[in-house]
Amino acid sequence: MSNALNKKRDFIEPSILSALAFLKDATLSEEYANRKGFLQSLDPRLKTLSFLAFLVTAISLKSAVLIGTLYGFCFIFAILSRIPVRHFLVRTLLFIPLFSLFMVLPTLFSIVTPGEPVCSFHVLGLNGIITRPGLDGAVLFVVRIATSVSLVVLLSLTTRHSELLKVLRVLGVPQLFVLTISMCFRYLYLFATMVENIFTAIKSRVGVVSHHRHGQNVVAWNLANTWNRTTQMSEEVYMAMLSRGYTGEPRLLRVFHATLKDWVWLCCALIICAGLFYRGQIL
Amino acid sequence: MHIPDGYLSPATCGLFGAVMIPIWTVASKAVRKTLSVRQVPYLAIGAAFSFVIMMFNVPLPGGSSGHAVGGVLVAILIGPWAACIAVTVALVIQALLFGDGGITALGANCFNMAFVLPFVGYYVYKLISLNSPPGSSRRIIAAGAGAYAGICLAALCAGIEFGLQPLLYHTANGQALYSPYGLNVAVPAMVIGHLLVFGWVEVIVTALVVKYLQKQNSVFFEGDRL
Repeated sequence: MSNALNKKRDFIEPSILSALAFLKDATLSEEYANRKGFLQSLDPRLKTLSFLAFLVTAISLKSAVLIGTLYGFCFIFAILSRIPVRHFLVRTLLFIPLFSLFMVLPTLFSIVTPGEPVCSFHVLGLNGIITRPGLDGAVLFVVRIATSVSLVVLLSLTTRHSELLKVLRVLGVPQLFVLTISMCFRYLYLFATMVENIFTAIKSRVGVVSHHRHGQNVVAWNLANTWNRTTQMSEEVYMAMLSRGYTGEPRLLRVFHATLKDWVWLCCALIICAGLFYRGQIL
Repeated sequence: MHIPDGYLSPATCGLFGAVMIPIWTVASKAVRKTLSVRQVPYLAIGAAFSFVIMMFNVPLPGGSSGHAVGGVLVAILIGPWAACIAVTVALVIQALLFGDGGITALGANCFNMAFVLPFVGYYVYKLISLNSPPGSSRRIIAAGAGAYAGICLAALCAGIEFGLQPLLYHTANGQALYSPYGLNVAVPAMVIGHLLVFGWVEVIVTALVVKYLQKQNSVFFEGDRL
């Protein structure tokens, strides 16, 4: 069997790699959140509120130019926050916006979106006409998606996960949800490690799983085993929580303090949003 | 099936957020009634489990692969209300901490994957399994059928949400402002893909995990869930 075919049939490798990439990404996010940068220096509560305002503005505006302006701000904030440009662009442009671009391509053409023709071409005997409404709609859609994704990624990269969870509580999200989210986040590492160990053990014994039915059984057995083992640990986890002084309300060592700089930032963010909305009404 | 930010209009996002608030409230009350603080780790396990299921690529005939959502499986294991919270938590973590899925579209995503999916799947499972013994193969079939029904109906909901956008939100010259395809494209695109491919991934994962758990510890299938 060729290496390429082996690679294609080996589902273990992609599964582990995607899981590890996910967790590695999360760790890297914390790394950026710990850097001394502009967004990192802001109070997480006011920063989250300002980003929610930016997000609502991005999905409400109807002009690609104005949404693109917001993307420009994102880019500047990323640089000021010492996020590597390449990492930021890969995280924000490569996945969802690229998928959205492919998804929206057919709407460029008159067969899907009729209207004023912008250009036409002949390919393999077929006549393609790109229309103005089709082009404008596609550009608006992709710019909107790219900006929304950038805002969320920037917030996530520049805020420690524990602080984001604390912000949820401050914003009024019920304790049951916040507590479950914070515990779930810790379990993810445990689950991923368990799964990785099991897969490594399987691979060291049987090598490549070459048949899809065998692969499906391995995945299902892994999930069942993971569930079984972790439910047995549930009681131990609770006892460990109690031993660390858990009283039912999650606590953070860091207490949030909003300074004048944070309030100025929030005011600036709201002025930017209001300005973009105002321009959007005029255009 | 994860809807990113920008695919749905703010009004649609607000509507689904408003729809989900009472559902989350009822789910919290239902879970609090039967789940003590001691069992909170159990709920977190359900959420992490749902998250992990979404990370697994299940091999399909022909060398391709897909991933399941796992909402029905979690509902069978911990009950539909607890599953609603667990899947919501998984979606919040994906959206907020990993930037995968939408924050403004969280209400719509939760409606599809944390409400429609687990509830439809769970009750189809209950209907087919009836009072069969915890270790019976009828429960495996019921779990598979529930998973298939749940994911396909959730996909239909997502298709309708996408398909309504160009009808409701467009400029005077017909330019779509959000998801650009109407119901005639969005609904078949979502439903056919799930009927033919992703529905079967959900069936395989749910039925096989139920089968293995029956062998390892059939106590998971005894009695009613939340």
